[in-house]
Amino acid sequence: MIRYESQKVARYYLGLALILFCLQVAMGLWLAVNYAFTLPQGLVDVFSFATSRAIHTNTLVAWMLLGFMGGSYFILPIECKRELFSVKIAYLQLLIFAGTAVAAVVGFLFGWTQGRPLLEIPVPLDFLIVVAALLFVFNVAMTIILTKERSVLQWMLLAGVTFLAVLYLFGMPFFKDLNQDYYYWWWVIHLWVEGAWELITAAIAAFIIIEVTGVERKVVEKWLYVETGLFLFTGLVGTGHHYYWLGSPNYWLWWGGIFSALEPLPVALMVLDTWMHIKGRKNPIVNPLLWTYIMGLALFHFLGAGVFGFIHTLPPINYYTHGSQITASHGHLAFFGAYALLNLVVFYFAMPQLKGIEKFDDRLGVWGFWTMVTAMIFIGLIFGVAGILQTYLERILDLGYRTAQLNMMFWFKAVLFFGVIFLIGVLMTVYHLFTLKKAAD
Amino acid sequence: MTGKTAKAIFWLGTLSSAIIFLWLTYDFHQQEPKFVKTDKLNEQVVAGKKVWHKHNCNDCHTILGFGGYYAPDMTKAYYRLGESAIISVVMNPEQAYKDTFRKMPHLGVTKDEAVNMAAFLKWVASIDNRTWPPQDEKFVKAFQLREANAQKPDSKDIAMGACGGCHSLGDLGNKLSGDFNDISQRISYDRDTLVKFIHAPQSVRQGIAMPPQNISSETAAIIADFLLSLKAEKEVQK
Repeated sequence: MIRYESQKVARYYLGLALILFCLQVAMGLWLAVNYAFTLPQGLVDVFSFATSRAIHTNTLVAWMLLGFMGGSYFILPIECKRELFSVKIAYLQLLIFAGTAVAAVVGFLFGWTQGRPLLEIPVPLDFLIVVAALLFVFNVAMTIILTKERSVLQWMLLAGVTFLAVLYLFGMPFFKDLNQDYYYWWWVIHLWVEGAWELITAAIAAFIIIEVTGVERKVVEKWLYVETGLFLFTGLVGTGHHYYWLGSPNYWLWWGGIFSALEPLPVALMVLDTWMHIKGRKNPIVNPLLWTYIMGLALFHFLGAGVFGFIHTLPPINYYTHGSQITASHGHLAFFGAYALLNLVVFYFAMPQLKGIEKFDDRLGVWGFWTMVTAMIFIGLIFGVAGILQTYLERILDLGYRTAQLNMMFWFKAVLFFGVIFLIGVLMTVYHLFTLKKAAD
Repeated sequence: MTGKTAKAIFWLGTLSSAIIFLWLTYDFHQQEPKFVKTDKLNEQVVAGKKVWHKHNCNDCHTILGFGGYYAPDMTKAYYRLGESAIISVVMNPEQAYKDTFRKMPHLGVTKDEAVNMAAFLKWVASIDNRTWPPQDEKFVKAFQLREANAQKPDSKDIAMGACGGCHSLGDLGNKLSGDFNDISQRISYDRDTLVKFIHAPQSVRQGIAMPPQNISSETAAIIADFLLSLKAEKEVQK
């Protein structure tokens, strides 16, 4: 039972996001195969690790952005108590965005790339992404401007998506100087995931918590202000934890170290307030799985982004762990904990409503959740073990890159094993979401 | 806590951090030439950077620690490998890594591209980044020693400068292929064959993993003499 007709546009966004999610994870398994086994030269020549990695990371960003956009389009009408400004713009934007994503992936296969990690999409396609982003921001802004009831959530969401779009521009120019190149590369990567995306996550999570638990809006909004304030306070200067080793003044060690060490604080507050709102709920628990996802989001966000980020953020530790599998460990846990789970919260909130189901049969979804969460914890820990081994062998015993990697082989195979389990969890979840059914009484 | 206090926390936190960050960014640009040789950033370096992007090197290799972890970090690669090894490996990876457990794709890099990329990596290596990565510091020091000795390099410095990207000599160089102490004992070629071998290994011994080396005939001759002198040294010891 959707409350506004225009919420329906979200359906296509969420569906496409789920398909890309499967593709992203499958490509991740292929990367693990590259690590765990020796591949024939002929195969490596035509489909290299670099190409696969570009697809793995870009489909990640694409499906998460689709989730954010679809999620925003789903909750905005409820939050603004009116239809979206324009359904046509929403569809046009989806068409441009999806077309560009497909063109980018096909282009990677033929070596068409900007050649910068995570920002591989070539500049001409970047312009199309910018057009799609502008359409989105415009549509969201107009919907909010035309509403009669203003709320903190509305403008927090608008601020998040605008910030996100503006930062993308810093990834487009060609820098002659590698040092400056990476200085501004982090304006996209870090300020996205530890700035703009956190704003969007906090706003969407706050909205869903209000809707699902029925706790008083004023209380949730207060938490939202404090949390986003702390996210930006620690996250903006915290960008400095990426500037330790790229050729920069010494003060970055202090600014970056201290501010980024505080970054777990707002996430800890999120765990606390989610817990309190769930305990102080006014509504009955209709779909327990959705509540599990909400609490799982808070806890895994804290574990992956907060704890695993904090572990290697201080300069004396980061000197040894920087650019090793430790980063892969943190990256996987953080992206899954903060953004994959946020998107899944949105999917489990929106998709039953889009299908007109109040209480859904959640058996397969529960299996999917626990399979994914368990496998991802193992993946994170195993990358962590591989990273510690790498750091110790290569940087402390000084045995060289190759010797270190050879000794990490067992752990790469273990990652592949848990990757397969993770993919099974993903397929269960995606299949469950696509085939939601009413629960039997 | 009232709603007003919460709102104040948001604005205070956001604005203070934004102001500090923008100020530090301004200062970073002011101070950059102290850490980065911006004056040495010539057209060849920029051309080399474009080659680096064109072949998407950064999704397997890290540089400044950023990128893929599938292959070694390239920040100090110029000091670790040397120009000739970079050029010959990049042009013939299927040769260089014929017997290793992880492969590098043959990307069809031309000689000009490889030379430009070596210039780019040389420039990157000169960035003063607080001696990161730790494992490459020994190569940085060895390179600096060779540089200090540049007026009168001995044949060992020349040999390790050219071959140290793959070969080792005791503690020096890399252990991708054999140690010169062992290799020199096995050598059965005369000096001319050895020079020919260094330039085009396949023409002397088919199927060997060593790629052709882009060095002058004089350097090849010095290296050949050095290897043969190592052999003689060992025989005398015996």
